[in-house]
Amino acid sequence: MTANTVHDRLALARTTLTPTQVLSALLAVAALGFTLVMLQEPTAHEAMHNFRHAAGVVCH
Amino acid sequence: MIAAYVVNGVKAGVVAGVAFGLLVALVANPLVAFAEERAQVEHDAGATADGHDHGSADAGGHDHGGGLPAVVSNGVSVLSGVLWGVFLGVAGFGIAFYLLEPIVPGSGAVRSYVFGGAGFLTASVAPWLVFPPAPPGVTRALDPNAATLLYCGAVAAGAVASVAGMFAYDRLRDARGRAAAVAVGVLPWALLVAGAVALAGVPTVATPAGMSTALANGLAGLVVFGQALTWLVLAGAHARFHDPGGADAGLTDPGFADDATAGSP
Repeated sequence: MTANTVHDRLALARTTLTPTQVLSALLAVAALGFTLVMLQEPTAHEAMHNFRHAAGVVCH
Repeated sequence: MIAAYVVNGVKAGVVAGVAFGLLVALVANPLVAFAEERAQVEHDAGATADGHDHGSADAGGHDHGGGLPAVVSNGVSVLSGVLWGVFLGVAGFGIAFYLLEPIVPGSGAVRSYVFGGAGFLTASVAPWLVFPPAPPGVTRALDPNAATLLYCGAVAAGAVASVAGMFAYDRLRDARGRAAAVAVGVLPWALLVAGAVALAGVPTVATPAGMSTALANGLAGLVVFGQALTWLVLAGAHARFHDPGGADAGLTDPGFADDATAGSP
């Protein structure tokens, strides 16, 4: 009954979400990903060392 | 409705994160520590007698386990494992699945599993083509910044291949039949693998000095198993939480769909 396409999903997101909502969600996800995968600060790096080995993340 | 997708992603992510966190706590923590010891023994034998004092400016550039007590690093690693599940859940099954659901092959629960497989290929297998899982003690040839860039590039290439494959499948399924659609759908990934092998060679597990090949291969196998498990649990949990025929799917009237899902995400 609906033309359910990727384009529709984008359009729906654009009409129902404010840019602030989109930005905050994306920033939160990016911050989480950056901390888990890329953070090179020695103490954090060392503490997450076993996890990064277990997950096969390159930057360890 | 979008909120419901994100909430489902978080819920599936917590379930998968707990599973992966347990794997880190029960298997990875002791095993990595053991492997580290093996690699370290050889390392210490070659170096001068500086006992266990490993400065961060060690020549190897890949030195761990110096300052923090094991309890802390083990705990942080387990917590990171749980957050890893949440991260994959939100980014994959929350945001990406919301956008891509119309072109993900299959219907109902199958969709969740197909998407989970695509996520595993994108987030894990694609970077492993360039950087195969390395046991502790292996020094990378690249510096961290270049490696990070290449890692992100590999994930992006995997995402492009996955989305292109699903898009092609979606376009060809009705017109050319399922077999042709599957054949064309896997083509982008076949090209990606061929390209990566041509550029970086066949991925092999490096064995550091002092470690047996069996242990190095076992560690790499554990990594692959752990990520496959994470994505499988993610997909299974998501298949339970996601209700494609229910209020979530009401795309006809955005306002109404939003109201309907607001109370019971």
